[in-house]
Amino acid sequence: MDMLLYRGCTAPVRLPAYEAATIAVLEKLGVNLIEFKDTNCCGAQYVESLSRNAFAAMSGRILALAEKEGLDILAICGACSGSLKINKYHLDNDPTLRDEVNSLLADEGLKYTGKVRVRHLLQVLHEDIGIDAVERAVVRPYDGIRMAAHYGCHVTRPYEIVQVDDPENPTILDRLVEAVGGVAVDYAGKTRCCGGPMLAMDEGIASAIGRQKIQNIAEARADGLVTACVFCDIQLTQVQFGEGAIDKRIPVITIPQFLGPALGIDEDVLGLELNKITPSDIMASLQEGRQ
Amino acid sequence: MTNEIHTPSSEFAREVASVPGGEAINKCIQCGICTASCMVARASEKYRPRKIIQKILIGKRDEVLRSDQPWFCMTCRMCEENCQEGVSPAEIFHAVRFIAAREGHIPNVFRNTLDTVLTDGWLLKDAYSDFIEDERDDLGLEVDLRFNDGFVKRVRERYFSPDMREAEV
Repeated sequence: MDMLLYRGCTAPVRLPAYEAATIAVLEKLGVNLIEFKDTNCCGAQYVESLSRNAFAAMSGRILALAEKEGLDILAICGACSGSLKINKYHLDNDPTLRDEVNSLLADEGLKYTGKVRVRHLLQVLHEDIGIDAVERAVVRPYDGIRMAAHYGCHVTRPYEIVQVDDPENPTILDRLVEAVGGVAVDYAGKTRCCGGPMLAMDEGIASAIGRQKIQNIAEARADGLVTACVFCDIQLTQVQFGEGAIDKRIPVITIPQFLGPALGIDEDVLGLELNKITPSDIMASLQEGRQ
Repeated sequence: MTNEIHTPSSEFAREVASVPGGEAINKCIQCGICTASCMVARASEKYRPRKIIQKILIGKRDEVLRSDQPWFCMTCRMCEENCQEGVSPAEIFHAVRFIAAREGHIPNVFRNTLDTVLTDGWLLKDAYSDFIEDERDDLGLEVDLRFNDGFVKRVRERYFSPDMREAEV
């Protein structure tokens, strides 16, 4: 299966290991990611807050470019997948908005008709590949490492539009953790925000929100935290540094970086040494196992 | 829709309801489950989503539009998930932001970031250093990110005035 990888603005600069690990893990599981050239920002938060038409145009161009290639889009960032899906929903349901966006896209010979799907990484792992297939591909299972899952608000809400997982009781990440030999750890406030979107307006509040989440995860005695959004990953890492941070840091790791070693992918390919809180204790739980 | 209105409805509430995203405002019964489920409200006394909606319902137009409060929503949609009346404060605050933005009430961080995106085509051109290029190269990733910066110029021209207010289409 071929898909276009929409990497967004933040992952390629702030978390390139997430991008590399996604490509390597999906390749291992039979999904070939194709370089998506000539894109632009999806418009999340900033364009989104100031003009509905401009927001639809920003995401609409990305959707129209994918239509030209005839391929579905994979988004690895919660904000990007959310924006592309919300705008797809509006463009599919509001002919006036669609005509408006298409009038702008026509200058480049592009047209939005609604043919391609936007898939978040969790949907590809869960629906297109399947958790059973992930489990079958394991060559080095973890030995019961305790992992807490953070899904990302824009990955799972609003359900009517994004349709990834139950927004009140999401399980995809937890099931992936268990598929590779980990133990999924429940904790208070699992579906709550990481605080990342608040960084623009008030860093103090953003940190307080993120630290509360880390505190809850620490109380559940998790060895690590798996994420499915670049912003959440960065935010939940960042709040563990600086004044007022907790004493014992909890490693934060993106889901493909966690799956990769169990699937036999080399740690260098997954960029594990770039993680700001070393996941070495997590990796130490890998067992030499079934080949 | 009208028989579902339980609350005072001001001229401003009707204005918000006429903007995409704001339609459900008059369904709010002021129960406060939004504030109770809000992570921002939990972390700070500065922000109370129920109160902002109340101010809209009773018509405090200037106070709401000049305030930073509608810009504090993280759009995490936890409140929307919990609201029993089908109201989405995240959508309502987007509608309020559109109205505020047209009148020039835009927090600087939003104005400046929008300017960056509509210049470079993406958010982090300035942060993309040689050091990160090397990291990408080591990971076997494409170093030339090839973002398009032409389309955003047309988006800016069509939808925004020079001070980033939304222009009439």
